[in-house]
Amino acid sequence: MAAVTLKNVVKRFGVFEIVHGADIDVEDGEFVVFVGPSGCGKSTLLRMIAGLEDISGGEIAIGGKVVNDVEPADRGIAMVFQSYALYPHMSVEQNLSFGLRMNGNPKADTERRVKRAAEILRIAELMKRRPRQLSGGQRQRVAIGRAIVREPQVFLFDEPLSNLDAELRVQMRVEISRLHKELGVTMIYVTHDQTEAMTLADRIVVLNAGNIEQIGAPLDLYDDPANRFVAGFVGSPKMNFLAAQVVGNDGSATVVELANHGGARLRKSLSGAPPAVGAEVVLGVRPEHFFEAGEGDCDIAVKADVAEHLGSVSYIYANAGPEELIIEREASRQRATGDHMVVSIKAGRSLLFDKSGARIR
Amino acid sequence: MRYQNATAYRFLAPYLLIFSIFWLWPIISSFLISFQATRTVPWRFAPTFNWGRLIGDPAFFNALKNTLLILVIQVPVMITLAIVMAVLLNSPLLKARGLFRFAFFAPVVVGEVAYSAVFRLMFNLDYGIINKLLNSVGLPRIDWFSNVTPAMAVIMIAVTWRWAGYNAIILLAGLQSIPQDVYEAATLDRVSKLKQFFYITLPLLKPIIVFCAVLSIIGTMQLFTEPFLITERGGPGGGTETLGLLLYRQGFRSLNFGYASAIAYTMAGLAIAISLVQLWLTREPK
Repeated sequence: MAAVTLKNVVKRFGVFEIVHGADIDVEDGEFVVFVGPSGCGKSTLLRMIAGLEDISGGEIAIGGKVVNDVEPADRGIAMVFQSYALYPHMSVEQNLSFGLRMNGNPKADTERRVKRAAEILRIAELMKRRPRQLSGGQRQRVAIGRAIVREPQVFLFDEPLSNLDAELRVQMRVEISRLHKELGVTMIYVTHDQTEAMTLADRIVVLNAGNIEQIGAPLDLYDDPANRFVAGFVGSPKMNFLAAQVVGNDGSATVVELANHGGARLRKSLSGAPPAVGAEVVLGVRPEHFFEAGEGDCDIAVKADVAEHLGSVSYIYANAGPEELIIEREASRQRATGDHMVVSIKAGRSLLFDKSGARIR
Repeated sequence: MRYQNATAYRFLAPYLLIFSIFWLWPIISSFLISFQATRTVPWRFAPTFNWGRLIGDPAFFNALKNTLLILVIQVPVMITLAIVMAVLLNSPLLKARGLFRFAFFAPVVVGEVAYSAVFRLMFNLDYGIINKLLNSVGLPRIDWFSNVTPAMAVIMIAVTWRWAGYNAIILLAGLQSIPQDVYEAATLDRVSKLKQFFYITLPLLKPIIVFCAVLSIIGTMQLFTEPFLITERGGPGGGTETLGLLLYRQGFRSLNFGYASAIAYTMAGLAIAISLVQLWLTREPK
């Protein structure tokens, strides 16, 4: 087991800087998920930790040892690839033992490690099969098994579930979580799926365009995002953003007027300096934080465009001028397209962002 | 359904007609001719005339021996060379990759007569560049075209030069279809580049290698141009005469079409048999 530390890590491809100075501390035994949209640099960051990509600047340390110039095989890591990267011409057993055999590991020890991995992942009955004879989920188990037999200090997962169907993804997610508890090893996991990040991680690193937007525990990111990007990225369905303008300040509170909702006003307490009167701001409200009319501090009228009924909850996609809002409702099965409804926003259940996207607290 | 089939066949008819006349009929006809004595007119049906002669003909066995010798030596050397070239072409360190790819493929584009003439000049006893190079390093000149072994070597070198690049390009396509992350996984497994080549690249490239080998076997069984033009009709003294050349000699110089047909069918049969053995030996385990 080992901690992983990234200090001001930079990656450039030619003149293009892809990662702009990442600082991350992954504690020993921690499960950290790098999450962000496509092209945000999360896989590049993982590949730099693995040693598959050179580091253009900064320092990476594993277990307290700087590994910038250490060969991938000597970093004490094992990686699970998105495409599984299994050796197609070898059986499952050969896939698991290949690395150990090639390095002259004693036969008895190799057999012991392969057997243990097969037991942990419940793939013992697949040992003689080739990868093409396995399902996607089984292939992913073998890929994880190949990482386990290396007995690494750190497991790296590069979008391991993105090639699986929804049901299998949930199943494998639980398995990976179980594996982390069983092995107690440091795991770094890359995904673009925020649900995977929320369910698996001890801490999440949110990346955007090569920058770290926020690092924190899943629910901390959900409840207290640092900026509009994190607020919009974490949570499904995503947070609603309503255009607003500051119309007054009184001591510790600011009053905003919602631009597209007929001049509806909300008085919101702030701990920091309030924005100037006249400043354009954005009010963030999660779909589940729209209340029944009169229950909150500010009522707005919307027209339901589409209603999705998922059983326990319904999502109502509503229009209010140029803004499309997603409203979560329990017991709203009768709600239909074209319905007019009034919902209420509570000041304490909304977030305020300035025009650049920074949080106003 | 039946109407649709009939319409489809009406559209196919022009092709099928041309196919039948110029492809199918010659195949059948030549097979039938191989059972006829064709040295005198009129041709007569004599099932054992040509096939019987084939079994006891020293010229046939000489040509067969020469063809198989080229096959056994040249094809493995060429395929090995092609694999090496493909790996080099695939290297990320290589600059001007497009130029090298073209250069390796170019020999196939060069006209057979032109390239044969150049090879004759290069291996000329008195003013060929090869003998000049041998002399410059203190080695004696070789009379390439008057002795069987050197003449055979020239044929093999020429065929290898012409086709190695072609096979390398096919193998390169195979190499590029091997996913990069398999190599990355092996790198993380501390598998050296050399071991990656032998344990990952070669096994994954096997179907393409077999394909190239089968193509080369078929090509070598039909070898004609090089012994005809470079070593002057299989010289010296039939030392480089191949089955293709013997077929030509019997068919188009002696006008003995029956015997030429029997040779042609023997060549085709051998190519199929060797290719099948090759495919069987290199089959994927279940």
